[in-house]
Amino acid sequence: MKEGIVNIVEEEGVEHKNPIVIEGLPDVGLVGTIAASYIVEKMKYNEIGYIESDLFPPVMVIHGGKLKSPFCLYGNEEVIVVSSEIAIPPNAVYPLTRTLADWFNDINAALVISITGLPVKNRMDIEKPEVFAVGNNEEVVKELKAKQVELLQEGFIAGTYAVMLRECYKRELNAISLLAQCFPVYPDPGAAASVIGSLDKFLQLGIDVGELMEKEEEIKLKARDLMRQTALSASEMQKSAEQDMPFMYR
Amino acid sequence: MGLERWIRDAMWSYNGNLEPLYELEDKGDEIIITFDLPRVKKEDVEINTTEDSVEIKAKMSEAVCWERWGSVQRRISFHQFRKQIKLPEQIDPEKASASLKNGILRISLPKKRTKVLIPIQ
Repeated sequence: MKEGIVNIVEEEGVEHKNPIVIEGLPDVGLVGTIAASYIVEKMKYNEIGYIESDLFPPVMVIHGGKLKSPFCLYGNEEVIVVSSEIAIPPNAVYPLTRTLADWFNDINAALVISITGLPVKNRMDIEKPEVFAVGNNEEVVKELKAKQVELLQEGFIAGTYAVMLRECYKRELNAISLLAQCFPVYPDPGAAASVIGSLDKFLQLGIDVGELMEKEEEIKLKARDLMRQTALSASEMQKSAEQDMPFMYR
Repeated sequence: MGLERWIRDAMWSYNGNLEPLYELEDKGDEIIITFDLPRVKKEDVEINTTEDSVEIKAKMSEAVCWERWGSVQRRISFHQFRKQIKLPEQIDPEKASASLKNGILRISLPKKRTKVLIPIQ
């Protein structure tokens, strides 16, 4: 592998039928990571590959005595879930999103859905986080409106999902981001539950989030270290720009 | 980061304490610190402040146990969150207040009054 290149390694024999991609990478509130892990567990998706890169930290994970890549692909012919157990290093964001977008293009993905969080200061006062969306072209924006998902109207978005929207646009791939109101630096299973609810408008997975909410405290405890790593990476990704007001001269 | 510092910075210790995630915000007249404290009830939180530090101890309603995990490779359990934070400015401990809601502890630490309003002539 050449230095600086990201590779997608697929299991042999995996076929794709215009899959919908769910990308749940570590970001604010670990919303995407928690939601993606829960979806994989509830839908009993198999591991169908992994992602490797010299830009990632030299880390492997051990689960049940088995060695695994922390950056895995799960799913079946119709759905692919991209998930990571480590924070994405800021210098890997562009090569990673380009490689993923190329691969989504190669396998004729029908829609790429990035699930993540929208940090809000008063999160502790919000019982059920709202979900907002961003689409990367008119067609998907129309679809979001038809499905009554509230659109982000103004503001900056920063991080892997923001670059993914653009890279998919360049390849004429339909992509959206679903963002649930969340704690910025605390794992937020409640926000993950909200985003899974909105995801059902596109995938009809019918996932009951009851268990996610029952295990909320346990998940928060298990996700502390990944949250801390992610918060450190986020400071280099201009995530604070999401709290800034864009220049509006019009 | 050296290995020694990396081990020192781990968010747990062998004495059963976990370090909570926290956020410190300087609001001008006060410092706000929030802590994420899952499995903690209001009556099990102890907060101590001085003029330049705050320490919290928060007992969990149910201990966290991990089996054969990481460098430990045996059963280890944690029953309390504990964290001491050095404050960036002096505060007035007598005026400090705290609340716990949905597992988030919020401590408000008003700063010592050092600002003086200068009239414009």
